[in-house]
Amino acid sequence: MHSLLSRGNAIVAYTLSLLACLTFLCFLSTLFVDYRTNATINTVKVVVKNVPDYSASREKCDLGFITFDLHANLTNLFNWNVKQLFLYLTAEYTTANNALSQVVLWDKIILRGENAILDFKSMNTKYYFWDDGNGLRNNSNVTLTLAWNIIPNAGLLPSIFARGQHSFTFPSEYTVARL
Amino acid sequence: MDYFRNIPVHMDFDGQHKAEKLSRIIITLFGAVGLIWGYIIQQFSQTVYIVGAGFVLAAIVTVPPWPMYRRKPLIWQKPRPDNEQGDSHQKPKKKK
Repeated sequence: MHSLLSRGNAIVAYTLSLLACLTFLCFLSTLFVDYRTNATINTVKVVVKNVPDYSASREKCDLGFITFDLHANLTNLFNWNVKQLFLYLTAEYTTANNALSQVVLWDKIILRGENAILDFKSMNTKYYFWDDGNGLRNNSNVTLTLAWNIIPNAGLLPSIFARGQHSFTFPSEYTVARL
Repeated sequence: MDYFRNIPVHMDFDGQHKAEKLSRIIITLFGAVGLIWGYIIQQFSQTVYIVGAGFVLAAIVTVPPWPMYRRKPLIWQKPRPDNEQGDSHQKPKKKK
């Protein structure tokens, strides 16, 4: 503490240590927050086609086309340790070949301060609903679930499933016409 | 130039102790207030800004050697004259 530089160094070091402590307290204050909430999902149009998957094996695989409704109010999920939410809509189903298939159909980033009340009607999926074989046609138990990653200032990066899911059945006939 | 050379830039030992204590108190206080305020309005960025303000204030108050840190100077003994008998057994050896 005898010179200008050593005093400057001391208070910079102390400020940074204090900032680390405060960040840790911020993390502790949100450690036990329950980030689950309700979401209503519904399917509008459900169609399955049988087309060659040129991005992979070139064999004919099942390709599902769905549009969906989604209602959720995520405003309550934001606090001082949440910078953004990463939402993703997953379809889960079982086929003869696979005990569990999970396909991400749609996602969205919501920054803090943006509108967090979701009200989508007849949304198209963002990503292709490919099966790796012929497991979609007549599949009677495909479940859509909404989940989100919470991106914090400091702390854990949890993946939370919304309460509320939707199960639907794919038609028993392939659609041949162009959509 | 003499005017600038005569500006005292040191702190005495008591002043150094006071400067360190004061800087810690200021920064900790701003940190505590910032944490509470940031929690109330749920904006951690406000906490960081308040800590930053505390840092600037602490830097202004305790980094420059203000006169308030120079109030208890150490009283040194007067230097002894060079040609005294007491330390004469050291110096002749160096000269050889």
